[in-house]
Amino acid sequence: MINLLKSEVLKIRSTQVWVWMLLLVVALTTLFTLGTVLSIQTGTPKEGINYFSVWTTFGTAGIALLVLGLLGLTTEFRHQTITPTLLATPDRWRLLSGKALAYVIFAIPYGLICIVVNLVVATICLKAKSFPVTFADGAIGGIVTNFISLILLAFFGLGLGALIRNQAAGMVAGILYLSIINGLLSVIPVIRKVYLFEPGGALTAFTTRDRDNYGLRHDVIHVSPMVGGLILLVWCVAILIAGGYFSLQRDIS
Amino acid sequence: MTAPPPPSSPEPPRQSLAKSPASSHPHGLRHTGAVEQPDGRIVVDKLTKVFGTQRAVDELSFTVEPGSITGFLGPNGAGKTTTLRMLLGLIAPTAGTATINGVAYHSLHRPLQTVGAALEASSFHPAHTGLQHLRIYCAAANLPAKRADEVLEIVGLTNAAKKKTKGYSMGMRQRLGLAGTLLGDPKVLILDEPANGLDPEGIRWLRGFFRHLASEGRTILVSSHQLAEIQEVADRAVILNQGRLVRAGTLAELSAGTSTAIVRGPDLAPLQQALAAAGLAGTTEPDGSLRVRADELTQIGHLAFSNGVELHELSLEEFDLEKLFFSLTEGAHQAHNFDQPGAPPPQVPPAGYAPGEGGRR
Repeated sequence: MINLLKSEVLKIRSTQVWVWMLLLVVALTTLFTLGTVLSIQTGTPKEGINYFSVWTTFGTAGIALLVLGLLGLTTEFRHQTITPTLLATPDRWRLLSGKALAYVIFAIPYGLICIVVNLVVATICLKAKSFPVTFADGAIGGIVTNFISLILLAFFGLGLGALIRNQAAGMVAGILYLSIINGLLSVIPVIRKVYLFEPGGALTAFTTRDRDNYGLRHDVIHVSPMVGGLILLVWCVAILIAGGYFSLQRDIS
Repeated sequence: MTAPPPPSSPEPPRQSLAKSPASSHPHGLRHTGAVEQPDGRIVVDKLTKVFGTQRAVDELSFTVEPGSITGFLGPNGAGKTTTLRMLLGLIAPTAGTATINGVAYHSLHRPLQTVGAALEASSFHPAHTGLQHLRIYCAAANLPAKRADEVLEIVGLTNAAKKKTKGYSMGMRQRLGLAGTLLGDPKVLILDEPANGLDPEGIRWLRGFFRHLASEGRTILVSSHQLAEIQEVADRAVILNQGRLVRAGTLAELSAGTSTAIVRGPDLAPLQQALAAAGLAGTTEPDGSLRVRADELTQIGHLAFSNGVELHELSLEEFDLEKLFFSLTEGAHQAHNFDQPGAPPPQVPPAGYAPGEGGRR
């Protein structure tokens, strides 16, 4: 497994995609942190500031991690490098496990960079606007769960890529889901009741403050953040297994 | 060309495989329960693959003997690539087995150190350099990174090592693919159309490359359309047509009784009678020459001399793999025959037509 990990990390490092993704997560984190802090009205008392939101804005970079994970397998199919990859690692489940582990490991520094950028930008902005710099509102816990969510999204993207195989279709599906479909699912009657059990809903539960049913309607069945995290993890594993079963098991011709 | 270094350690037989004879591979390839024998033998047994309603490979059986170079021949769509991909665990067979060293490819203990395979000249990430491409698989196979530099030198790509593969010519891609096969210094090499896209210089290089590999006692299974090249380097051939085996054996076996003596002279009738009496059938060609099925010329020369027949030519048209190939695969193509004068021009292929081995999939 160590050899497989080395090989996968080498694959990621050998193209400039990781650099562009790094720039993207830094840009997204900076932009959304600026937006969050600068939107706080001057003179707002400390108690009126949503510090949880200020320190966890980096979670929005998850979409970039999802795309990074998605590229993990779709690139192999797009450039037909899946053939030499499977010749080197013929056990397809082992290959999938190795890739999942590699992307989890690769997502960690991305997550840490996001946290650092969020901290630096938010601190500068808060001080510039003369707001106290404090980690109130359960911000520390929020930073941890959002950091874990970034890793899980890379994992989810890998599974989605295994399931869809086509790179363009996979990226469109992943981005559309996170940006539009997920939001729609939270408002459609009947469906919204189980919103927190679908991946995007579980992500919301895991990464948002557990107050007022996460800002959702009251007929949405409530789950705690930890349960939300577990549901998201189950989805990640399920999507990866489904991808492995339906897609990777196909003939490579 | 420098010889690849020996493997870092001799490959131990995979004893653990014997523990799970009834287990099954998730890709549909059955564990044989056999122990890996590092002899380099390839055994294909009743291998069958059905795509929809088409039997791409139909109960194909053959053996590639250790240390031999075997040409795997057949027209486009004969099932060569499908067979090789089944052999390498990339396509699940509908029925039958294919083993290397007595086990299925996915059961090999160290696959890249056992089998080197080059299936297509386009399996490279365009943004990777040749060196990066090879180093990725060095890492996967636990080989030192410097092995990538060594194999690039063997195939003459050292100068292009740091060039991105998107800038490689077809010939360079073929060489990079061949370099990949040598990474683990395997005893078995499986090559699918390695001469495709090579210019005459590249083909000459490939011929030398094969000879070099053969001199090292490797088992090589090579599919190719370059029949003359195969005849020159291979000692065995497996000929496939429409998914079925039509002929297999050593070139000596395949060539037995296939040579033809060509006899020219002003009056060959007495010789033809003498040949018939000696049991040698001869046919008269429109140009008056006589063609006699024979592996050598001594008897014909003697009969001509003893019957006082004047000869202007007595030559032997020796075994030609290409002729044998075409005689065995006749009718595989319904293509326009340009040899027939006055024949209508060829039709434009219909939309979606995909030439080549993989086109029908």
